Amino acid sequence: MTSNEDGRATGRGPAEKSRDADVLLPELVAHLREHRTRLRQEWTTRIGDAHLLQAMTSQEVAAETTSVYDNYVEVLETGSVEALQHYARDLSERIIPRGVETHEVVGIVLLLRDVLARSLFEKYQRDFALLNRVLDAYEPAANRIANTVAVSFVDERERVIRQQQDAILELSTPVLPVRERLLILPIIGVLDSERAKQLTVQLLNGIRTHRAKVVVIDITGVPAIDQTVANHLVQTVDASRLMGANVIITGLSPDIARTLVTIGVDLSKMDTVGDLQGGLEEAERMLGYASAHPDGAMGP
Amino acid sequence: MEITALVPLVRRIVASRVRDAATVDDLVQETLARVLAAAGRIEPGMLEPYAIVTARNVVTSLWREQDRQRRNQHRVVDLHPSEAPDADVLAREDRDAVSAALRRLGERERATLLAHEVAGQDTRSLAAELGSTAGAVAAQLNRTRARLRVEYLLALEATDPPTDRCRPVLLALSSGDRRRQREVDAARHLLECGFCAGLSQPLVDRGRSRDDEIHVAVRADADVVAARQAAREAGARLGFPPTDLTAIATAVSEVTRNVVKFAEAGEAVIELLEEPRRGIRVVVRDVGPGIPDVAQALQDGFSTYAGLGLGLPGARRLMDEFTVVSEVGRGTTVTMTKWWGER
Amino acid sequence: MSSGPRLFSILKQGPTLIASIHTALDDSQLERFREDLVDRIGRDRARGVIIDLAALDVLDSFATRVLRDIAEMARLRGAQTVVVGIQPEVAFVIVRLGMDTGSLVTALDLEEGLEHLAGATLPTAGPHR
Repeated sequence: MTSNEDGRATGRGPAEKSRDADVLLPELVAHLREHRTRLRQEWTTRIGDAHLLQAMTSQEVAAETTSVYDNYVEVLETGSVEALQHYARDLSERIIPRGVETHEVVGIVLLLRDVLARSLFEKYQRDFALLNRVLDAYEPAANRIANTVAVSFVDERERVIRQQQDAILELSTPVLPVRERLLILPIIGVLDSERAKQLTVQLLNGIRTHRAKVVVIDITGVPAIDQTVANHLVQTVDASRLMGANVIITGLSPDIARTLVTIGVDLSKMDTVGDLQGGLEEAERMLGYASAHPDGAMGP
Repeated sequence: MEITALVPLVRRIVASRVRDAATVDDLVQETLARVLAAAGRIEPGMLEPYAIVTARNVVTSLWREQDRQRRNQHRVVDLHPSEAPDADVLAREDRDAVSAALRRLGERERATLLAHEVAGQDTRSLAAELGSTAGAVAAQLNRTRARLRVEYLLALEATDPPTDRCRPVLLALSSGDRRRQREVDAARHLLECGFCAGLSQPLVDRGRSRDDEIHVAVRADADVVAARQAAREAGARLGFPPTDLTAIATAVSEVTRNVVKFAEAGEAVIELLEEPRRGIRVVVRDVGPGIPDVAQALQDGFSTYAGLGLGLPGARRLMDEFTVVSEVGRGTTVTMTKWWGER
Repeated sequence: MSSGPRLFSILKQGPTLIASIHTALDDSQLERFREDLVDRIGRDRARGVIIDLAALDVLDSFATRVLRDIAEMARLRGAQTVVVGIQPEVAFVIVRLGMDTGSLVTALDLEEGLEHLAGATLPTAGPHR
């Protein structure tokens, strides 16, 4: 604690402080309501200057800053953060998908705190003692607001991330039935042994469920292939064939093709087509050829 | 003396030999019933020693249930197949065997055991007398009991074991000390030594907890299927996903086939693991020619079965851990483990 | 061994033999299956053979070799063999085991197998190109 703060605090105990808050906060709230348009505008300008909320349009920023401002003043007036919490969570839900980051949210609340503090400073600058008392009443409330908004945002962000992770897990059944008897398995990202095993098991179950005859495995999204991944790929092709499905591999870059040959994978045993489109055409050709022999050939 | 006063003594004797609480209860009841039935025939002061001997007999006759069935077979033609004389004969045999076994213990071993089991002296006061600690006395008592069980079984057979290795193996089995069992390679000895295999049955049954270890004898084609099905069921109990269950069953199939193909006898032991992680371990051991070049047998080519054709590289790929120990002329032990959730 | 529940069945449907394995077979039972089936192929002058493995939870190296043997012997007698009903886990484990299954013609199930023998040629064995 500095001596200055000490000096400010002397002579006024907690009781006086709390009475100050009772008396001064309504006065302060009235001031902020009266100058709402100007202060909100100033805040919005400073948000722009600080390059915050750039993912949002100016109309969106205007709408949100108005709401935040009104909520902010209301919390100062009532002392209840519940409404603000609720709003902050709502706000987070709206802006998180836009890519708004935690530091931006904290930044705009701190800017608002600053804008309002400056206006109070202006209003009370002639009476230094009163200014101190006003700021004493304002600061704890303002800090509580900043804290509430930041925590709500982070909570919401975590919730969204968890939700997204769940969704990704669900999506990790990437076996897509494109049309009757045709599956696509797009592999994206690094393949380790465990993931390769899971993908293969999913694919084999998918083949049975969808009675697939052709599978297109697209490895365009696989950055690199080593011996292990190559072996898994060969095993996936072989296992699919044991389930009665032909595999076409697409997205095999010349680099990867060279790697495969170098490490001893017999590419002649694999059906490879340059890109996914070509792979699908090849698959349709295979299926078309197959369907040229009607099911009636076997009878009931 | 009240019969009920014997309960703690009888219970202690039975519980030191039998683990399962329900079986202990049954055997205590049975002992007391026998003591009660004989109470009129014996001197008052003999009730306690009689109860001790009876309790031991009850326990040992449980161990020898199989043996008793075998002994009873020839009595099928007996015109007077009475239970009581049979029980008497067995009881006398047991008593003789117990005395013989006790005689074979060292003087101090026997004195300590009797002081504890018969006179009911606790380990602390025994330790004070012997200048030792209670823990050391308890450990010594356990070793003595283990020896007593072995000597008792040998006395029943009225013969000495055929090889020098038999006694250490039987002792290790009797004490339930798994580390010691590994040291003396007890499992292999049981495959090699028919005498010990028969004799140790009660010891092995006693030390085996039924749930986490499954033994499957492997001699014929059908045993290969039995072993892999047992492994699959054990794995399913642990919650392994279907692909892993198939992998485990297939690996067991590959490895046990070698036993049937090349060895006289063998077994598969399936063990469920909780530590350090959940998993399943299968040990397949045989008494056979052994593999001269294990490294070559494990060599992993692109096509597995180009090699020695033992299926070992393939089985190894299906499991997480896989070790082969082989001695030419004696046999092979394959130990393989699959961890739950392992990549 | 000859008593008890049937371990496998071999049925004739037109020029095709449909062989189904009903339960896990040990090695000697697999050998008898091979002999019975190859014998029937010759006697019935079958043109196609379908081996249905839907009931099998393990296909190890020996079983796979038996299947390859049957397919080869059938081929020498002028019949084509299609193996059907391999479970996903089993398919996965066979390839992990390192078995060469390139010479086996496979189809999803009995229906697909029959369709294959009837003339539809998917999937073919081994290299496509």
